Amino acid sequence: MTSANRKDMLKRGAIWGFILLELAFFSIIGDQLSVSDQPFLAYDNMLLVLKQSAPIGIIALGMTIVMINGNIDLSVGATFALAAIVMLDSMTWPFMQAMGDWAIPLAWLFALATGVIMGAINGIIVWKTGVDAFIVTLGAMLGFRGIVFMFNGEQPTSHLNWTLVDFAEAQFLGLHTATWFLLGAALVLWLLMTKTVHGRNAYAIGNNREAAVNAGIRVGPHFIWNFMLIGFLAALSAVVFYSESGSVNPNDGMLYELWAITAVVLGGTKLAGGYGSIISTLGGVIAIQLLRKGLGHIGADTQTVNLVIGLILIAVLVLDRQLNRKGQGELKI
Amino acid sequence: MKTALKVALACSTALIGTAAAAQDMTIGITQNNVGVDSYQTTYEQAFIAAAEANPDVEVVVLDAGGDVARQLAQIDDLIQQEVDAMIIWPTNGEAVIPAVRRASQADIPVVITNSNIAEAGFDFISAFSGPDNVTQGSRSAEIMCDRFKELGIEDEAKVVHITGQPGYTTAIERAQGFNDRLPEVCPNVEQIDEQPGDWNREKSQQVMEAFLVQYDDIDGVYSGDDNMGVGAMNAAIAADRVDGITFVGATNFAVGYDAMAEGTYWGSIYQSPVDDAEAALQTAIDVLNGEDVPFLNYFDTPKITQDNMDEFTKPVF
Repeated sequence: MTSANRKDMLKRGAIWGFILLELAFFSIIGDQLSVSDQPFLAYDNMLLVLKQSAPIGIIALGMTIVMINGNIDLSVGATFALAAIVMLDSMTWPFMQAMGDWAIPLAWLFALATGVIMGAINGIIVWKTGVDAFIVTLGAMLGFRGIVFMFNGEQPTSHLNWTLVDFAEAQFLGLHTATWFLLGAALVLWLLMTKTVHGRNAYAIGNNREAAVNAGIRVGPHFIWNFMLIGFLAALSAVVFYSESGSVNPNDGMLYELWAITAVVLGGTKLAGGYGSIISTLGGVIAIQLLRKGLGHIGADTQTVNLVIGLILIAVLVLDRQLNRKGQGELKI
Repeated sequence: MKTALKVALACSTALIGTAAAAQDMTIGITQNNVGVDSYQTTYEQAFIAAAEANPDVEVVVLDAGGDVARQLAQIDDLIQQEVDAMIIWPTNGEAVIPAVRRASQADIPVVITNSNIAEAGFDFISAFSGPDNVTQGSRSAEIMCDRFKELGIEDEAKVVHITGQPGYTTAIERAQGFNDRLPEVCPNVEQIDEQPGDWNREKSQQVMEAFLVQYDDIDGVYSGDDNMGVGAMNAAIAADRVDGITFVGATNFAVGYDAMAEGTYWGSIYQSPVDDAEAALQTAIDVLNGEDVPFLNYFDTPKITQDNMDEFTKPVF
């Protein structure tokens, strides 16, 4: 029991150890190679890491819950773009413009509602048809992206509102607005997953769906709630990000689903479901952003960054498999 | 003796001082999407080569990979690294404006390269460096008119016009340059139709097919870029009417260059990614040196026709 606990601690701590390794590497070697006079570990730079983790991070938190369920959601990138379009376009509607800056919270509401509706569509289809979530959300990914392109063709949808930008750029207690949203969402979801019945059910369903059904958990409605949650979070991510940038390209958010899944897997959540943690996903997101930033800091190009992250992901999975196999071996003896 | 030493010391310190100051110029660039086409790939290589050839500058070369969020993060990173100047190839001409404002608030001069940001952001940038699309359009008109004069049909020629994607600044400006200049140089040439080809070769081919059915007499075709121009040319080849038609485009593509070598395509505008990159770096350096840089700092995009094409290397894209 204690050794199992210790191993669990070790696995959960692994991502944070990796982050420390990255920090050490980039601050020792990175500062030698960089042309910048600013040290990598500068306080401002670390604050930026958190801020820049937010767009994918908020989505990845939701992805953790869906993956603990044993499902997956590939449509989040398209939902992200769609919610952004709703938010920015709604602010140009005549009655919204008449409201002045009071239109902003309403526009946020519209965007979040869009995300929840998109998530609900996914959830209902998964529940009522029994088709695998991978296929359903793959279809949704293409379909939602189609809607995005139908909306404004190849052109960006834009609405620059400086009040909104000032809000998004603000720093409260040193942390950027986006960071607050990321940490806030992480806290709420961590409470949800560790302190509530819904959270415990999520693990139970991921571990063994039939057993969960037998135990009286209503799996279908549970899925819908989680898909609505991740839709909401994809929209929240869009709200936070586009408040600051004010313009969305129709291909924005492409591959975000894969970056989110990468962060979740780096954080140790199992693809098969039943195991994972919100806090570790936060670690996974920060690890990716540190890599992107650190490799940029030493002058590696974007393709190299992607290659390195890909290699690390595979290494993590191989390592995880080895550890688990050993663990199972131990149990048998 | 003592004074001589002092003077020597003062001189050498001054020398070191200036050398250090000159080398101190760090310029960051965040590009749109390097891997996506060879124009952007060549641009990056040329930019790095130009920076290496200049001992006074160090560059931080970043690529947004087409992702707006990544580009905004890179702009924040460059601000945090306290670069002396920043060059941005915007992934989205409006989304970068708040980030550009942050750079300007941090007193970092920003140069926009290749395609400009929206006017709301003009207050926060030092200069735009890129091609002048209006001039490109009017030069295409001159190429067309000169050719008509050579053929002796400048008083009767009829022209059709295929534009880029509606709404795109590049498309609008090129069409405007062409439409304004053609009546000035060849007042008797008549433009009989104008339709969008959306930068797309197939679309442009269809547009030209319709033109060929509709009009029995077409002497010239102007397209917003060579990609569409070659599409139009293929339609004329299929209809067996290519011989009497002068094709003029813009942004000379490799396909356009080849067609010129074969003698079916007449002329275009040569836009080199190397010139584009070098102009952007030079603009940033000039801004840092406090020189007077025009706000819209265009690099030259010369005319290329079958007559002078050997002066140009074949475009890589």
